[in-house]
Amino acid sequence: MQRPADVRAEPSRRQVLGWGLACAATSLLKGTWRAGAQQDVAGQIELAGPRLPGVNRHPAMFWEPRPEQRVRCTLCPRECEVADVERGYCGVRENQGGRYQTLVYGTLCSANVDPIEKKPLFHYLPGTNAFSIATAGCNIECKFCQNWQISQFRPEQVESTLVTPERLVAICQSRSAPTIAYTYSEPVVFYEYMHDVAALARQRGIGSVMISNGYIQSAPLRQLCRHLTAVKIDFKAFTEKFYREMCAAELKPVLATLEILKEIGIWFELVILIVPTLNDSPQEVQDMSRWVVAHLGPDVPMHFTRFHPTYRVTNLPPTPVQTLERCRQIALDAGVHYVYAGNVTMHPGENTYCHSCRTELIRRVGFQVRNNRLREGRCPQCGTLIPGVWSQEQALAFKPRDAATDAQK
Amino acid sequence: MYYYPTRRRFLIGCGAAAAGAALPVTRLLAGTDPPAKARVVIARDDALQRGEPSEHGQLLAKLLDAAVQKLTDTPDPVAAWRRLFSPRQRVGIKVNALGRATQPVVVDAIVAGLRQAGVPAEHIIIWDRFDTELVRAGFKLNKTGDGVRCRGTDADKIGSGYQSEVEKSGEVGTCFSRILTDEVDTLISVPVLKDHNLAGVSLGMKNFYGAIHNPNKYHGNNCDPYIADVVAHRYIGPRWRLTVVDGTRAQYHGGPGLRPAHTWLFGGLIVGTDFVAVDAVGAHLLDEQRRSEGMKPVAEDGRPARHIATAGTRGLGVAELDRIERIEV
Repeated sequence: MQRPADVRAEPSRRQVLGWGLACAATSLLKGTWRAGAQQDVAGQIELAGPRLPGVNRHPAMFWEPRPEQRVRCTLCPRECEVADVERGYCGVRENQGGRYQTLVYGTLCSANVDPIEKKPLFHYLPGTNAFSIATAGCNIECKFCQNWQISQFRPEQVESTLVTPERLVAICQSRSAPTIAYTYSEPVVFYEYMHDVAALARQRGIGSVMISNGYIQSAPLRQLCRHLTAVKIDFKAFTEKFYREMCAAELKPVLATLEILKEIGIWFELVILIVPTLNDSPQEVQDMSRWVVAHLGPDVPMHFTRFHPTYRVTNLPPTPVQTLERCRQIALDAGVHYVYAGNVTMHPGENTYCHSCRTELIRRVGFQVRNNRLREGRCPQCGTLIPGVWSQEQALAFKPRDAATDAQK
Repeated sequence: MYYYPTRRRFLIGCGAAAAGAALPVTRLLAGTDPPAKARVVIARDDALQRGEPSEHGQLLAKLLDAAVQKLTDTPDPVAAWRRLFSPRQRVGIKVNALGRATQPVVVDAIVAGLRQAGVPAEHIIIWDRFDTELVRAGFKLNKTGDGVRCRGTDADKIGSGYQSEVEKSGEVGTCFSRILTDEVDTLISVPVLKDHNLAGVSLGMKNFYGAIHNPNKYHGNNCDPYIADVVAHRYIGPRWRLTVVDGTRAQYHGGPGLRPAHTWLFGGLIVGTDFVAVDAVGAHLLDEQRRSEGMKPVAEDGRPARHIATAGTRGLGVAELDRIERIEV
């Protein structure tokens, strides 16, 4: 099992020292610091079972037969047309004799209990843990991918353990994790497994959050959201150029995904990894923020996070903290209510402030919730309802708007 | 792959550029011979169209010897193989075990040639991506025993078969097979003469998609320029000594999967040291066969094999048919 980076890279020595000193000082001075329950159980999970190359064949969803035993995958906007014995761009879906198969049904290469803040989801059950899983594969290729050792490899090249949906949900129940997070690589490419696990988990009182690049077609997204309870989208940039040159993808389908998420009413947050010189121009951040407010509303949180050199982008420095602060201010000025600075431990931009009276509501240190002053989802100072999902009951009560409409009919 | 100049290299480069600029263009051109033609040998025998390829081991070895003699202008087969290979080399024979696969009997003929050149059996490794695919194609695995070894990149500890750091080559970023990086210094590509649904043809150059960890990322735009990028890398292009295209059972349509209805009894081998030229000839023959079957050439079928021209433009070999000498034996 690998311990992926999630969206946050390793902190520098200076950051770690600073964090450690601050924690020690806080506990000495106030006597209130203690590791939360999430820290007691968080960490890598060793799943029982033989370590295997991560291939487990299962019929794929969302594809169409084509002449001469070819298939067209309709799961993601790429719409790969795949000949017999070949695979799609993701490397984990294969045509075998004119039938499309997923190769990664239940082949987990990563399993960890993470704070939900690590995803990051800041307005979804703060201070709780998410049982976080991944298989190999991704349907885009970000040149700055922090988990490329699993996302950019084929399943045969990654050590995995086979875990059925039933077993996974049982493990979650035994660990009292309220949420399963499909994360690290790209969950869209292990759609079938995520779909089945999320449906079963929901029946057993466990929520599901997808941490995704949003590169998915409308039909599979809508079907999946019937079982999910929240989504986080990595919004890579606001130009086609960046998506094309840095991610081998397109911006438009991601915008479409965001609008669908808004339409069906599921809780979602946005993360924008700011890469120096490539997507950090004030104009681009302003354009993006204005689009978010106009199309998604002001209540969708935006997290501007810090880039660290990795994978194929090793020639750029880490994002300066001032750049993140500038991005945050631009988004706030554009009217976004909740804007965060990520990958900068102990920065005030990690905290949640009431958008109405600016009272500090949730204080965070890294992935830890230090103080949560929300009262039933409201600001204790002015009573404003803070957008988000604040209880498991609220999470499990979610129904997509189109599904609710269907049920009424 | 990227070559960062030191101060010394930079100064030498500036000096060379200044010297070049001082020479009249006519003088530069005056001493330049026209580029030599690349040579590609097509070795065929009607007998190969009958029965199974495995029944024709001796004939294939004879054809291959004759091809190597023609390539090197050497009358004696042993001397001919020695012109290409030396006993100190560690030779990787990259086969294509996916779908319509390389015939083991063709590889046997290549191994016999290498042995004639004095290459020890232990210096030879037959390889592709997976053990499972090699076995399905009829190869007998030999991972640690004496003699010629045969195994897939993914054969040992999971995930250890590829480099742990990514290498860049043009637009490609990838981890190469450790067989390629750690175990061999000389390469022979043994593809099948076959059609490919995206690249147009899958021949010697496309075969090296089986040496990288993420070939699925590089099938866009008919695999161009990615195929050229992959083979241009220092682990492949400079080490590539010979291409032997297996045409004992070719396939003119529906590749890379096995389509018996489109089997083409080409009955021979296409052999050359210029890997771009070999692919250019192979692609041309495949298009001729498609025409004879009433089909469009691959380019008109929406999948031009443009990677061949790209490789030619990059100076990796000769892509123009009129600059290739085709010899039939």
